[in-house]
Amino acid sequence: MADIVDIAVSAEGFKTLVTAVQVANLVETLKGPGPFTVFAPTDDAFAKLPPGTVQTLVQNTPQLARILTFHVVAGKWMKADLEKVDSVISIEGSPIRIDTSDGFEVKNATVIAADIEADNGVIHVLDRVILMG
Amino acid sequence: MTFTTLPQTILSPSTHEFSGIIHRLEAGGSMLPDTPENLMQIIGIYKAYAVPMDFYWRDLLYIAEHVFLNPLPAFKYFLPQEYLDLHNHYAGDDADLRIWRGEATVHPELLEFIEKGELKQKLPKLFHHLSHDRVNMEFAEACMRAMFWHRGMGGQFDPYLDTDEYKANADRAIRAYFQGNPVMLGLYKMFPDMFLEQVRELSYYANLGLFWEVMAPVFFEMSDLYDEGKLTTVPEAMNFLVNGIFAIAGRPIYHHVYIRGECYEIIPKSKGFMWLYEAALPYVEAVFYRTSPFRGTKSYNAQAKQVPGEQDDFHYGILYADVFPVGSAGIPPTLLMQDMLHFLPPYLLDYYKQYCRGDDDLLIQLGISFQRSMYNVTSAVIQALRTALLYPLDDPNPKHLMANRQFFEMQIDRFKRPEARLRDIQRQDYR
Repeated sequence: MADIVDIAVSAEGFKTLVTAVQVANLVETLKGPGPFTVFAPTDDAFAKLPPGTVQTLVQNTPQLARILTFHVVAGKWMKADLEKVDSVISIEGSPIRIDTSDGFEVKNATVIAADIEADNGVIHVLDRVILMG
Repeated sequence: MTFTTLPQTILSPSTHEFSGIIHRLEAGGSMLPDTPENLMQIIGIYKAYAVPMDFYWRDLLYIAEHVFLNPLPAFKYFLPQEYLDLHNHYAGDDADLRIWRGEATVHPELLEFIEKGELKQKLPKLFHHLSHDRVNMEFAEACMRAMFWHRGMGGQFDPYLDTDEYKANADRAIRAYFQGNPVMLGLYKMFPDMFLEQVRELSYYANLGLFWEVMAPVFFEMSDLYDEGKLTTVPEAMNFLVNGIFAIAGRPIYHHVYIRGECYEIIPKSKGFMWLYEAALPYVEAVFYRTSPFRGTKSYNAQAKQVPGEQDDFHYGILYADVFPVGSAGIPPTLLMQDMLHFLPPYLLDYYKQYCRGDDDLLIQLGISFQRSMYNVTSAVIQALRTALLYPLDDPNPKHLMANRQFFEMQIDRFKRPEARLRDIQRQDYR
């Protein structure tokens, strides 16, 4: 099996995310032993952000890294594990609301592909970039 | 731009006291009604506000970065040439992200005012200052102090000011600043917290300066778009602000100090503090909603219990302010109204001359337009938060629409108290 970064690189539709992770110097972290749970927004999810947002973040790597670490949770949380909790704490430090009562929602995003297993964790694919607050 | 009435057809009507405004927000509108008169007032005021704001942000950064702990900062409002020439990061050809198509250096109208003042005469700066022919920088400091005093309004900036890391950074800068000054160094040894608290306040100077560095070009651009006929409705004006908020959300908030040519990073950019979370949202809470009771309208008498015991309950920001006593003693926004008076666009001056007491009560009339314009800015913040944390307005899922509605109702609940001016700004004859 491959690690989280390799899976994102080889899969279709994660170009923006992979670039962002490289710019923010998080490749090494996400290739580490972890385990991590990564909520991965697709290219379409990034495209939904208003113009300029991504440009400003790419110019400012610590701020970009903070947004990206909000999408990462320590430990390997499969969908079945997330069903038992209301929220999880991200690596960034803020809570992420989980709602599985009707489908599988993470904060205000919907999971479009769950439980993609990697060597060092699991990936759930989101249709929207999630933000702290 | 068209707005569908989709939400109403899926959800039953809101039963909130301000249901009309809730439905307007759900349809992509603003708290301020969409009339050409309202649009003219708010855009004219954005322009008049942006010019003094161009001074505020430059001077706030100058104080945070250079004046620093000067025990007698008598000349802190005298901007040196390098801060007049300082390039705004969001205007001009070399902008990080160009919002205003104009120049990155000081605004020409502001420069003219600094040189000639109300007297329209070139006199030494000190003379203009002493005859009070100047920008009322105290207003900017009052906003900074409101943010500093309310503290803990979200974000990671404020908790960072209490960490050992911050204290160590501040300590290095304090020692460097007073190097070779045994009196101040001795005082620092005896009362370290006194100096540390001053540095915290200076970090808030930097925070607010960096916040306004963004708002000034946003307002200038809106004024230019309006003049070109490209902003034609209140919701368009609000959406321009929403997009601006998102575009800049990730700009870093930091505090650098320059001592003898060397840069001391008290709050480094690498902490990841962001414009949206560490500056904009705390600013809105502290300045639009809370601030502190006006000395001229409330008694601070502890027995009279006019002033709330909890800071959360403070409601003295512009969204609640009574603008009619502007110009009399003990009403702090007078300072800002006086500043904006110098830079009103001609169409707004002509408009005010037709109403109320014409030239004689300009400060009050423009104050009320300012209140309208800040209700529109607050609407933009509410819509931006909804976009970031909740769902699109045309989401087909009724559960999502209900979550949006509950969010809007919760926000509007804050305007139920009698002091709130939300009711008044719905009427065009409130002026």
